[in-house]
Amino acid sequence: MKPILKFEQVSKNYPNGVHALKGVSFEVQEGEFISIIGPSGSGKSTLLRAINRLIPISGGTVWLDGQPVSAQRGRKLRELRCKAGMIFQNYNLVYSLSVLQNVLHGRLGYMWGVKGVFGMYSEEDKQEALDLLEELGLSQFAYNRASDLSGGQKQRVGIARAIMQKPRLLLCDEPIASLDPSSAKTIMDLLHSMTQKRNIACIVNLHQLDVAVRYSTRIIGLSKGEIVFDGAPEDLDDSAIERIYGTSRENLMMGGNADDKEDTAHCA
Amino acid sequence: MNMNSDENIVMLNPQRKLIRDAQKTKGRIPVKCRQRNRFIPCFLAGVVVLSVLSLFYLEIDWGKMVSRVPDIGEVFWELAHLDFANMDLILSSLVETISIAVLSLLYSLLLGIVFGMLAARNIFRVPFLSFLTQSFFTFLRAVPTPVWVLLMLVCLGMGPEAGVAGLCVHTTAFFTKSFAQSFESIPDETVEALEVTGAGRLSIFFNAVLPAALSQIVAWAGMRLETNFSECAILGMVGAGGIGYVISNSLQGYDYGTAGTAILLVFFVAYCIERLFVRIKKRF
Repeated sequence: MKPILKFEQVSKNYPNGVHALKGVSFEVQEGEFISIIGPSGSGKSTLLRAINRLIPISGGTVWLDGQPVSAQRGRKLRELRCKAGMIFQNYNLVYSLSVLQNVLHGRLGYMWGVKGVFGMYSEEDKQEALDLLEELGLSQFAYNRASDLSGGQKQRVGIARAIMQKPRLLLCDEPIASLDPSSAKTIMDLLHSMTQKRNIACIVNLHQLDVAVRYSTRIIGLSKGEIVFDGAPEDLDDSAIERIYGTSRENLMMGGNADDKEDTAHCA
Repeated sequence: MNMNSDENIVMLNPQRKLIRDAQKTKGRIPVKCRQRNRFIPCFLAGVVVLSVLSLFYLEIDWGKMVSRVPDIGEVFWELAHLDFANMDLILSSLVETISIAVLSLLYSLLLGIVFGMLAARNIFRVPFLSFLTQSFFTFLRAVPTPVWVLLMLVCLGMGPEAGVAGLCVHTTAFFTKSFAQSFESIPDETVEALEVTGAGRLSIFFNAVLPAALSQIVAWAGMRLETNFSECAILGMVGAGGIGYVISNSLQGYDYGTAGTAILLVFFVAYCIERLFVRIKKRF
């Protein structure tokens, strides 16, 4: 099977001398649900943003759906970007517009000329957006301003916008970092079910180890710009955690255990 | 956890030692930043020197000025005797002034959005383009409005056309700068979120940046309509039509009553415009 995404010896050096990625290589197959874990500054965000060229890389090649991302410019790049949807920690919606308009933004990449500029969406697109909102339980808010929603609801709009794009790959940059534990679970459940149903590969940056173990089919551990763990969640043992975070399990804030009184702390 | 708290104490120690040293030497704990801003005292000193110099240069005759102070009261007393005889002339020129202000605002709004888009650094991401647009309009803005109107009077002849054109130049330059700032204040992440959908630059601008900046644009437009209206009143005096022409004409003919009525109406309309936009702004 052809991989959807392939990293080949990708490196990224920032002008201030930081080496965010050092020779990172991995492949992503259809339908995989991958969590990327690692301490702050280990290159998780850089890795995600290298995929759709929000950050240009300094060495190596990123292959998205068989095409090299780093070589593309202009229209070709925009066509390639359509294939990778993205959701963000801070949702990044246009808060002065309606929820429906925000969802329809996912279609802008497929619209050319005047239609795209003035947001003249087709009736099929509008119907599809409404159906998606229904599926996410937001249909009663379709015509509210996006600023009126709660954090969890805003993130669901973010998911709808990304799914509207009909992507092959969904990139999630710390999607639950600003949410309360209950909304966080809703969002992770939705991400999981919606990507499985549509056979979309999903890459999630996470700070919560227990969430990563519970949802993913595969975990990639980053430390100082290098992959130090790549395997199934069952194989993530104490020594692997120590390699990723540079400290033993006891020094980490862990949630998810039944006897753990700090169960909610993993969302801090 | 134990190890961490040990580290904390070690980390905090130098800071505490510094404060203790300061207590020993001066007996007082310093509260201000170590690097003080020296710009403000220098600036104030410069202002004092400049005002003293200009006072000498202008050679103001203070005696004469004080002796004429009672005249101010007299003139205002004359102006207060409102004369409604020329009401039709005053009203028609007032409407003309308002039309000039509104028209120039409308044209400048459209031009300002287009040029603001070019001048904002986060829309097309071409630094040279924004630099070029910004500097061109800085030049236009540096020349005061009456000068532009006088130039347009020469080009287009006497009348309201010159007023509209002259006002447009300055207002567009003003809008370009302020709109570009509003566009740049949209969080980069929002632009990023639309970039990853594969949308083009123009689509991103019209679908995300412009709607998000709309309330600021309304605020700027309201402020500018007010300014344009009062500018318009002055511009009439240089021959661009409108109520300014009536005011300057009647003042020169010592017809204080008519001038007083016209001035009062200008105040009233300017106040109404301000109130109106406060209300509109609240709705956004």
